[in-house]
Amino acid sequence: MHTFLEFIAILAVIIGTAFSVLGVLGFIRMPDVYTRLHATGKVSIFGVVLLLLATVALTPLEFGKGLVLIVLLVVGGPVTSHAIGSAAHRIGIPMKRAIRDDLAAIEQTPP
Amino acid sequence: MSDILALVLNIALAIHIALIAVCVWRVWRGENVIDRLIGADLVGTLMLAVLVLIALIWLNAAYIDVALGLAALGFVGTIALAKYIADQQMF
Repeated sequence: MHTFLEFIAILAVIIGTAFSVLGVLGFIRMPDVYTRLHATGKVSIFGVVLLLLATVALTPLEFGKGLVLIVLLVVGGPVTSHAIGSAAHRIGIPMKRAIRDDLAAIEQTPP
Repeated sequence: MSDILALVLNIALAIHIALIAVCVWRVWRGENVIDRLIGADLVGTLMLAVLVLIALIWLNAAYIDVALGLAALGFVGTIALAKYIADQQMF
């Protein structure tokens, strides 16, 4: 029983770190702001949440704190990405290699 | 705690600290203001991961509370900054 929980924790930490590395790599390599947002969103959701799964697996008795943090991250992550994305579009940051831009049609007059 | 787990946790901690350094360099060199905002948010998230790893390594649940506080404040801070950038005034 003891080693099985540790096995889950080791797996979760490895996969979480892999997602963090991929997210930061995406943040550096992506061409423009909006694709960069896509990459960084992964770090906060998959990276930290998987680490928290490791904490939940390792401390089976008091798992409440980890779950509260998981819920906060899963709810808060997309909200911040959306806020940054709309802020970027509103101040007019161009999209590289964009096929269509639906928001531009709606947003004729900047505030 | 078996030594494999301790090894994996320490390696993950080292990787996350290196990622934070990369992000801080990227925020320093950022092309536009939104890049810096994304970088700052990313540093906050990676700091969250470092705190959780420290909680695991030192087996002290207090660091999860610190991570909770950082998550809440980082979230509000990023939203406020994004709104300030979009509308050029806060309220």
